[in-house]
Amino acid sequence: MKFSYNWLNSFFKEDLPQPEKLAEKLMMHFFEVEGVEKKGDDFLLDIDILPSRASDCFSHLGVAGEIAVILEKKVNFPEIESDDGDLESVKVEVENNQLCPRYVLRVIDGIKVGETPEFIKKRLEICGLQSVNNIVDITNYVMLEMGQPLHSFDGEKIAEDKIIVRNAEPGEKIETLDDDKYKLDESVLVIADEEKPIGIAGIKGGKGSEVEEETSLIYLEAANFEAKTIRRTSKKLKLRTDASARFEQGLDPELAEKASKRAAQLFEEYAGGKTVGRVDFYPQKRKPGKLKLSLSNLKSVLGTDIDKARVKSILKRLRLNPKVENDSVKVTVPTGRNDLQLEEDLIEEVGRVYGYENIDPKVPRAALTGPETNYDIFWEDRARDVFKSLGYNEVYNYSFINVKTKKLFGFNDNLIEMENPVSKEYQFLRPSLIPGLIKNVKDNEKKFRNINIFEIGKVFGKENEEKRKLSGLKTTDFRDLKGDMDVLLERLGVGKASYKTIENKKSFWSRELAEVKVKQETVGLVGKISKDFLKGMKIESQIFLFQIDMDQLAALASEKKQYERISRFPTAVRDLSALVPKRINYEEFVSVAENAGGELLVDVDLFDLYEGEKIPEEKKNFGIRLFFQAEDKTLSKEEINELLEKIISTLEKKSGWEVRKK
Amino acid sequence: MDIEKIEKKALSELEKLDSLDEVKKFEKKYLGNGGKVSEVFKSISKAPEKKRADLGKKANSLKNRLGKGIERKQKELRESAKKEMKRSFDVTLPGKETGLGHIHPLTSVLRSLCNIFEGMGFSVVRGPDIENSWYNFDALNFPKEHPARDMQDTLFIKQEEDLPSEERLLMRTHTSPVQIRYMEKNQPPVKIVVPGRVYRNETTDASHEINFYQLEGLMVDREISVANFKAVITSLIDKFFTGDVDVRLRPSFFPFTEPSFEVDMSCTVCNQEGCSVCSQTGWIEVLGAGMVHPNVLKNSGLNPKNWQGFAFGMGIDRMAMIKYGIEDVRLFYSGDLRFLNQF
Repeated sequence: MKFSYNWLNSFFKEDLPQPEKLAEKLMMHFFEVEGVEKKGDDFLLDIDILPSRASDCFSHLGVAGEIAVILEKKVNFPEIESDDGDLESVKVEVENNQLCPRYVLRVIDGIKVGETPEFIKKRLEICGLQSVNNIVDITNYVMLEMGQPLHSFDGEKIAEDKIIVRNAEPGEKIETLDDDKYKLDESVLVIADEEKPIGIAGIKGGKGSEVEEETSLIYLEAANFEAKTIRRTSKKLKLRTDASARFEQGLDPELAEKASKRAAQLFEEYAGGKTVGRVDFYPQKRKPGKLKLSLSNLKSVLGTDIDKARVKSILKRLRLNPKVENDSVKVTVPTGRNDLQLEEDLIEEVGRVYGYENIDPKVPRAALTGPETNYDIFWEDRARDVFKSLGYNEVYNYSFINVKTKKLFGFNDNLIEMENPVSKEYQFLRPSLIPGLIKNVKDNEKKFRNINIFEIGKVFGKENEEKRKLSGLKTTDFRDLKGDMDVLLERLGVGKASYKTIENKKSFWSRELAEVKVKQETVGLVGKISKDFLKGMKIESQIFLFQIDMDQLAALASEKKQYERISRFPTAVRDLSALVPKRINYEEFVSVAENAGGELLVDVDLFDLYEGEKIPEEKKNFGIRLFFQAEDKTLSKEEINELLEKIISTLEKKSGWEVRKK
Repeated sequence: MDIEKIEKKALSELEKLDSLDEVKKFEKKYLGNGGKVSEVFKSISKAPEKKRADLGKKANSLKNRLGKGIERKQKELRESAKKEMKRSFDVTLPGKETGLGHIHPLTSVLRSLCNIFEGMGFSVVRGPDIENSWYNFDALNFPKEHPARDMQDTLFIKQEEDLPSEERLLMRTHTSPVQIRYMEKNQPPVKIVVPGRVYRNETTDASHEINFYQLEGLMVDREISVANFKAVITSLIDKFFTGDVDVRLRPSFFPFTEPSFEVDMSCTVCNQEGCSVCSQTGWIEVLGAGMVHPNVLKNSGLNPKNWQGFAFGMGIDRMAMIKYGIEDVRLFYSGDLRFLNQF
């Protein structure tokens, strides 16, 4: 909110500190000053008044009051005394005093519409308001000074001299001063005469009743409206004004008469107006509140001991009329301070005026108990470190996908849709990390040869369910990726996984797709993304991708390790290669060899796989390395050869299998 | 034949040689079969007998000296060749890539923040991304009409049924709902931090994202104070930015804390000289905080007469941006490897 430095200064006998210095003080004890800008011989202060003080500080007087508190200065409020008599000739009728707790109508005659005095013009301009004429400018001036929005009607144009505050009829129409037309409904509060609405309450005046050049009789409205009603209407009509911005914060009804009288004084001085009288509809006078502050609570919450006299002086400057009684202070809360409702609110007042910078840090006293380990995070972090070591980059993608991605990936059912998406790009919550990762390949493949990336994040499914997933991809080959999976599972203490080919239910997978199973439990998928699918997305790389359920993984993970004794005896190594029919998979092949080798065959490595011109078309060649070792002795050459022969003969018993010794 | 002359000439010849090959040739020329030295020996037999013994001595010493000279020269050349070899080792050739990967900067920042808090005894807990209005707003003392509840700020989930406002589902706009969720299930003393992704209905730009990360902190016990908060947060910021950073509290307003503050730290980029990061003020706003509002304790099932404490929330993306000098928040969610490779 914009404030004029000179205007604020005018309320003080002695000059205020320089604008920057003042801003610094306000920042540390009131609210943030977002800017100080020189404007001619004045300065504009842009103060970020937060909702707690919007009801009393959207005004120069409100802020001047705060400055007085902070700088311990005396502020001179303009003197306003109301001695105007009640009028009988003009009527104010309020249908619902919940929605309009007060309505002051002041009748001022003899007005001469004309030029505005220079000092008012200048101050309005600093605050971003254009000068119109002396009448409009004075009402705006009082609003900026006191925070009470005012509206002047041309008294001659009010039918039957009666102002009615009522809800609009369904479908009722109004044209505002800006020539905008609005269709209203019952939720909108209007100001009307006997014939038609002449203004949208608290927001904007209507056309037809406005002050014009020849106007001499003014009906000045200074009202109080329910904040909620104004906020809703303003939102509904998408019409926000300086008036609505103030009313929707909940103004002090006590302010209405003061502001009305203040404007009348200025009308008299600068527009020749004479007050005829007023009507004040104010059935329920707002009373000051009562609150109690316990000094021991103050000390306990702030963590510092503030002298009793100091507390009293701060509360006094805040115009809270403190009365100290033993360990507590009783205060009276002015009607404009509806932010002060609890003891905590008073603690804040004392704290901020005293200055948080004057509170020394104190290390809390607490029991010496360590934090509880969060195993979800622990295992996620372990997985991240494994993938980092394996050369993967961690990515974060958006939690949302668009309808195109939804269709492309065949995510048809159960997607969670946003009621008000930021844009169509972010319409659904992602049900999988895969689309994001594939897009990352598309965005990076021109710049990087190999791409290894992974993401750990939430995905969302039916019944608003959230699941943690770990997904990643490589652009090299399947065995590479499978090797990484094995490392992950080993390093998380999950153990060995088995892989079983499955049907691809989603078309973005190719036929090369397998389930990852640990102890009979399916924890994820590994596979190749379909070539055609990638072609459709204009991606040139091959993509091998895995997806794992992070919750399942964390449940299976374990830090337990058991040392296995290392044999003292040497290991003997023998290679062999075998031609087998193509349909035989490696696991099938190697299990035959392992069974034949028995427990002395301690390990088997695949070092070569060949399919091609040098061998029959229907065959493939496995080159394996066999490791023999005993726990209790060195194996002799004869023993090893005997075992090898046994393995070979067992392999060759299978029809179509042929061993080529090395 | 003047032996001394021969020696002088030979030695100066030897001195000029700069390769082992040439030295070999030299050796052959003087000491080889039919070489200069053997000629000298031959010539002795022709000399008068009186002089032979003397000449013989001189010839032998010539042979020895040339031999030693050659040895010395060879050694010299070998050493300089070794030096040469050393020079040909080009240490400036680029190292081979190790193929190590990279952790996302937000992960690193979250980890280090959580580690610091764990060191102070805070447990790390998390909560759901999809929340209802009760946990996200009502329980946190947001008035029914609070503008944060507007469609233009909060992402709501499309739901078929017409639900009471408190049950409406939305994407959590902050990590604060976990305050309530945790206190409902755990009696104080409470000492937690809550990392997590949060969502806003926001037009994205260099400093705004529709999803970003927050770290929430909550400490509730019998006598936790503003002074305690200052100690905890100063220690955090000192450790995270590894330096002597000044911290200041300014008054602010949040519905779920009373008193509320904004926490600034001294700008580490310019040492408070004024720069674009701190908008020339020397201070950077890093988090919002305050003493837990009594209504929040009540809504979590705790009696505010017995318990009090502080809560705070900081933007992780912002912390990472300050720490690494990143100018655009969108980079975190871009998957751009040119960016990620730097961390």
